[in-house]
Amino acid sequence: MKLIHRVTLRLALVIMPVLLLWATLFYFTMVFQVNDETDDSLDDYAEMIVCRVVDGEELPTPGDGSNNTYSIEQLQPTEHHYDWETYEDREVYLHWKKESEPARVLTKVFHDSDGVAYRLIVSTPTFERDDIIRALLIHIAIIYAVLLCTILAVTVAVFKISMKPFYSLLKWLDGYRPGGGLAGFPNEETVVEFRKLTQTARETIERAENHLERQKQFIGNASHELQTPLAVLGNRIEWMMDSTTLTEEQFAELSKMRQSIHRLVRLNRTLLLLSKIDNGHFLDRVDVDIVSIINSELEVYKEIFAEKELRCNVAVPQGYVVQMDEMLATTMVGNLIKNAFVHSPSKGVIEIKISQDELMVSNSGDEALDKARLFDRFYTSGKTGSTGLGLALVKSVAEYYKFGIDYRFNNSRHCFVIRLKNR
Amino acid sequence: MKLLIIEDDSSLREIMHRALTNEGYVVELAPTYFDACDKIAGYSYDCILLDIMLPDGNGLKLLEQIKALDKDERVIIISARDSLDDKIAGLDLGADDYLPKPFYMAELSARIKSVMRRGTGAVNKTMTAGNITLDLQSRQVTVGGNAVPLLKKEFDILLYFMQRPNHIIDKAVLAESVWGDHIDMVDNFQFVYAQIKNLRKKLIDAGASQNIKAVYGFGYKFTETD
Repeated sequence: MKLIHRVTLRLALVIMPVLLLWATLFYFTMVFQVNDETDDSLDDYAEMIVCRVVDGEELPTPGDGSNNTYSIEQLQPTEHHYDWETYEDREVYLHWKKESEPARVLTKVFHDSDGVAYRLIVSTPTFERDDIIRALLIHIAIIYAVLLCTILAVTVAVFKISMKPFYSLLKWLDGYRPGGGLAGFPNEETVVEFRKLTQTARETIERAENHLERQKQFIGNASHELQTPLAVLGNRIEWMMDSTTLTEEQFAELSKMRQSIHRLVRLNRTLLLLSKIDNGHFLDRVDVDIVSIINSELEVYKEIFAEKELRCNVAVPQGYVVQMDEMLATTMVGNLIKNAFVHSPSKGVIEIKISQDELMVSNSGDEALDKARLFDRFYTSGKTGSTGLGLALVKSVAEYYKFGIDYRFNNSRHCFVIRLKNR
Repeated sequence: MKLLIIEDDSSLREIMHRALTNEGYVVELAPTYFDACDKIAGYSYDCILLDIMLPDGNGLKLLEQIKALDKDERVIIISARDSLDDKIAGLDLGADDYLPKPFYMAELSARIKSVMRRGTGAVNKTMTAGNITLDLQSRQVTVGGNAVPLLKKEFDILLYFMQRPNHIIDKAVLAESVWGDHIDMVDNFQFVYAQIKNLRKKLIDAGASQNIKAVYGFGYKFTETD
């Protein structure tokens, strides 16, 4: 969820009860005020009638335009009565309108000069509560919508403007790739929080860059430093084998040593290559035809693994061009194909296919491999002579070019898929 | 022929010295940038083996000096950094070859021969051992004057052996030289046997004076036929 959405939602949620509360208060205040006014006028009207009754003057006729109604009833002396006034809301039937209307009703008892008690009921039409509530609700809804829109617009605008440094930092971090340096890093801000954030981010990146640089140097240096002793060792063994008289046993030992050194050399070289890929030392992007790589690699491996009598089914188009470093393309495709040849049982079937921008290489197998660790460095299936780096190399190259890589096991086949287009 | 080895690692320097002296070269040594400057300025060499990572200076600077002196010296760069940039920089500065560490002496000696051959002009593009002659340009093989048709890999194998006569060649090393990185993880070298078997048969049939001999089952050696 985007921050702006969250802020909007929260604002909307907070405004709703506030507005409802306000509407309720407003309604009751308004009713109270209106009743107050009505009661005052009813009072005046009742006072006027009482005066006229007491003075014996003519009483107002109903329907005289004021919509007020009244009734006077003489109370029996025996009848119990209270001497106070009551106000209430009631439906009153209006004769001249021939319908009931909501009205404010005042009931009071008064005595004329003879001491006779009368009950006077005065009423004046008042508003319909339902109408008021409905109108109020409609207006609340309108206000809510208008208010929300305005607040949103203002919030978005303010947000966009004041959060600009934040988003530019975020954008920069998004595009950051380890080893990419601090080029284009957002400038220092005047707002304290943003300045702190930018500073912290910059320091963190700088630290990471330093670490990376040192690690890069370390791996590179370590591998390079190993080259000379490896050359010395190999050549001393070579010299012993070539120039000294040895027993067959000694010769066999030396031969095995030489093979181990050979393996070390290969391992060292592969590690160097891996660290180079991981550090993005291959910036070359040229048009590389994957199909021609497949064909030439396939030819070599068919020759090397001729003894296994494998069958190869190849379904590739005439050409398939990808933009990448040529050597890395060969490494990626070659290692996938080699993997298939190495791990396929004798007389197995190898399939290579390119369809819908997917390169699929599969070979026969017994059981699924551990997908989580398959592409890890030094993960081997126990095959002798395996460096455990082949698939790690494939993955490193694929990830470097943002190709998707996947492994499946179905129908007793190990299936490696690389999605070649990085759109 | 006189060689100068500029290499800071004493052990490597010693075996290079030993191996190349055995091959009949006159070898001089320079362990540091400083020594190397002295020797280059004072003497002439046919070929200089230059380690570009020296403790007291950059070997590429030395290369510039060598080229600035305008002497007709071949230079082979030896580097622990198998980096394309170094290689390009070195070859741009006029080095004749680039050999990444670790390498085998046989490989080094083959490179020296190849560089020296280039030095004597484009005439000599062939290699000869006994009555076998390899034309490196047209990839033709003749034995006693008669052409012997070889497959691509058979030619590569024969060339590799002829550059290293009398060395015991490990089948894994041979395989890697001819098939490159492709043979990583390969534990069965049947394909090498098959190729060598065919090659030997072709050489015997053609009446070659040298051939590839199996040694104890650890590898092969290119020697005169008994």
